[in-house]
Amino acid sequence: MSTDAATTGSRTTRLLGLVVLVGVLALILLGFFGAPEDDEQRDAVRMIFVHVPSAFLTYTAFLTTAVGSVMWLWKRSRWWDIVAHSAAEMGVIFCGLTLFTGSVWGRPTWNTYWDWGDVRIVTNLILFLMMVGYLALRAAGGDENAVATRAAVVGLLAAVNLPIINRSVEWWANRTLHQKSSLTDGNLEDLTLFTLFVGVVVWALFFVWAMIHRFRIGWLEHQLSSIDLEAALVQRRAEATGESAEEANL
Amino acid sequence: MTGEMTPRAPRPLRARRAPWIGVVIALALAAAVVVLVLNLLEDSLYFYNADEAVEEREEIGSKRFTLQGAPIGCSIVEGFNGDEPVVAFSLSFGGAAIDVVHHGDPAELFQPDVPVVLDGAWVEETPFVEGFGGIANDGWHFSSDRMRVKHDNDYINDEEYDERLTLSDEGADSTGVVCEA
Repeated sequence: MSTDAATTGSRTTRLLGLVVLVGVLALILLGFFGAPEDDEQRDAVRMIFVHVPSAFLTYTAFLTTAVGSVMWLWKRSRWWDIVAHSAAEMGVIFCGLTLFTGSVWGRPTWNTYWDWGDVRIVTNLILFLMMVGYLALRAAGGDENAVATRAAVVGLLAAVNLPIINRSVEWWANRTLHQKSSLTDGNLEDLTLFTLFVGVVVWALFFVWAMIHRFRIGWLEHQLSSIDLEAALVQRRAEATGESAEEANL
Repeated sequence: MTGEMTPRAPRPLRARRAPWIGVVIALALAAAVVVLVLNLLEDSLYFYNADEAVEEREEIGSKRFTLQGAPIGCSIVEGFNGDEPVVAFSLSFGGAAIDVVHHGDPAELFQPDVPVVLDGAWVEETPFVEGFGGIANDGWHFSSDRMRVKHDNDYINDEEYDERLTLSDEGADSTGVVCEA
């Protein structure tokens, strides 16, 4: 195996990584020095440039997991199973980041880090815990196909939560602390909106970059386990016939 | 080793479940979640809006509950109850006003017209905080000890914002309740 084949990077991913780094730098500059402060929230509003893109990518990642899960259950496609697993890992990171930034943003604006009465944040926590459970199920090991099937069912059940989270601020409009959607219903200053847009694009590019690497790791792991299985079969055949493993392999 | 060495009959293989069973279970669970959400939509109550809290005052009694409404600018008075800081104000929602005494420091973003969510209980007593008139002035007040600010999704930088805030303090706020001169 050549060195190139053993790495998960390529010219495209290295270029993509560079674009993400430049994008993050641009986001920092725009977020801190470009976008104006808000009349009510003052500087605390700048948290929106991390919080909203994180939430958006949480939905994207877990939706990808759901699609991958359906494809595994339907076609038994290992490719889709690895896509689902990779997206779930990305989703847990973004969902954790959404909860953390929301909590930090909530302290100066809502006057609390957390409120158990709020539907949006509690359903988000449920989603996070369900997907941590999904990853724990994956990590528990066992027959590869059985694990993939169980994980796919959990991934689909968790996905039921996505529309509930997304629409909660509409369905419980007068019963929730969380404001309505900033992207679709909000009234934003031009530069604030532009910076938010940059944040979503940069986060999305990071998601693609990280997904490619994670998928390739998953695919290599799968190939390795197949090679190990093949080697074990050769070994058993050799033991049965009294040949050496090398002879059996010839 | 003296254990039982008689060969045992192999355990029967577990019958393989049909693949559609998993799909049916998933659909049933999804349906359960939908039913749960529909019920929660009708029955869940995080806070009472000011008009509902006034309407159901007898039913609520002295129980703790959560109240939501927008503070009326001209009514806000900050003071002390002994060593404890208090803020007295009137809030409104849906055309009803409630006098509030909040024990403790107000939230950082507490300001006129920006709705607050308060935890506390009804007290059948006119609030006594020096300088506080009370717009509801109905012999009741809401005694609160936890305040959250319910900000909206407008993120704007308006040069006239501070001017509007001053106008609100003078009684021309957007709650529809105008303070007496």
